[in-house]
Amino acid sequence: MFEQILIRMPFGDIVHYLSGYTVVLFAFAAMFVILAVISLPEKPVDIVFGTDGYYTKEVPVDLMKFQRFMAIACGIATIGAITTGDIFNFTLFAAFIGVLNIGIVAAVKNKQVLDAAFSYGLVVMMATVPLFAGAAIIAATCGTLSIWELATAAEATAGISVPIVAKLLLLVGVLGEGMAPFYIGKAEITRAPGAPYILMIHVSSLLLFLRVVEILLTV
Amino acid sequence: MIAFEMPLVYQIGIAVAFIAIIIAFSAILREKDDIHKLIIIDLIEITGLVVVALIATDLAEALILPGLVVGVAEIMAVSELWLAKEKLQQKHSAKKFDIEVMKTAPPIIGLLLAAYGIFLTGFSGGLIAALGLMIFFLGKNMGEHFAKIENAAGYAWALWVIAFFIFMLFPSQWFLAIMLAAVGIMLKVMAKMSLVGTMRGGE
Repeated sequence: MFEQILIRMPFGDIVHYLSGYTVVLFAFAAMFVILAVISLPEKPVDIVFGTDGYYTKEVPVDLMKFQRFMAIACGIATIGAITTGDIFNFTLFAAFIGVLNIGIVAAVKNKQVLDAAFSYGLVVMMATVPLFAGAAIIAATCGTLSIWELATAAEATAGISVPIVAKLLLLVGVLGEGMAPFYIGKAEITRAPGAPYILMIHVSSLLLFLRVVEILLTV
Repeated sequence: MIAFEMPLVYQIGIAVAFIAIIIAFSAILREKDDIHKLIIIDLIEITGLVVVALIATDLAEALILPGLVVGVAEIMAVSELWLAKEKLQQKHSAKKFDIEVMKTAPPIIGLLLAAYGIFLTGFSGGLIAALGLMIFFLGKNMGEHFAKIENAAGYAWALWVIAFFIFMLFPSQWFLAIMLAAVGIMLKVMAKMSLVGTMRGGE
């Protein structure tokens, strides 16, 4: 996977890089950030039962501003998780995406939505345990957290490889952080006001999964 | 990059930490009450930090601080969410205790902690001084001089930027820059931390 490196930006031994694979993810995330900046939330239409009447729900301005801010921040955190070359920065960005997803969901003051957001929040908090534990075990066994160093060390004859348990912990952590779409499905939040910003939850968790696969195959 | 044998202590420690994690996760399975779940999950996060702390190098310190910050951010977000969910958000400020010891003890404890924090400087010094100021403010009523604290935070920021410039332009004066940065971050942390919890529901 390291053959097609397009851009690399070294900061000490931490090398930020974009490969042929992650540049696609980067473009996707950047596109959705721009969409979150320019798009306005749609007004959900409710039909009055038994008649042909209907009304549109207004989205309050403060809710819209809050959700937009959270969506943009979530997109930028996703870009950070895609471009970083440091496993610990990656875990931090993943945890950050989790917190921002809670924010996007919790802006809607609806009992079912808040219940779902609360249980998602609990999962996010639990997921930080395997995330940081995985990063710490990698640092303890290999002495570095740079993906670049880890990849080249694995290729060299030194024979220090990332322990499988650390990889599994990292994967479990990212699974927990990116669980948001399941909880959104549970609360049917896509029918709640502010729907376009909720797309960012799906985008960020999808890109997070795709990126962690790349990391686990590289190191 | 660096290959070294992990000492036995690390392996024993990590086994103990994993046992603690398993116990904590089994506790969360049994718990049904929402707020208790939240508290247990905070305990779970601490066990995660134990795993990080077991590395026992400077790197571990660099990893624990962000881990701690993430944990605090998450528990604040989720507890706000819980308050909104249970409709418990306070609309009016709470009544203050009116007992004598709350007037006399906080200035003394606060002064001691602030003095010790200034002696320490840096991040940990800021935390300790902030603890002193927090005790001081929590013991007294809200209407304190927040503008002055904000001022101090502004000067701290300026000190920090100056320290950075000295690092970049005159690397030989690194000691002066480190001292400026240490005092700056001490003031910054102290100012910000002492605002936590005291601004709540005030203005």
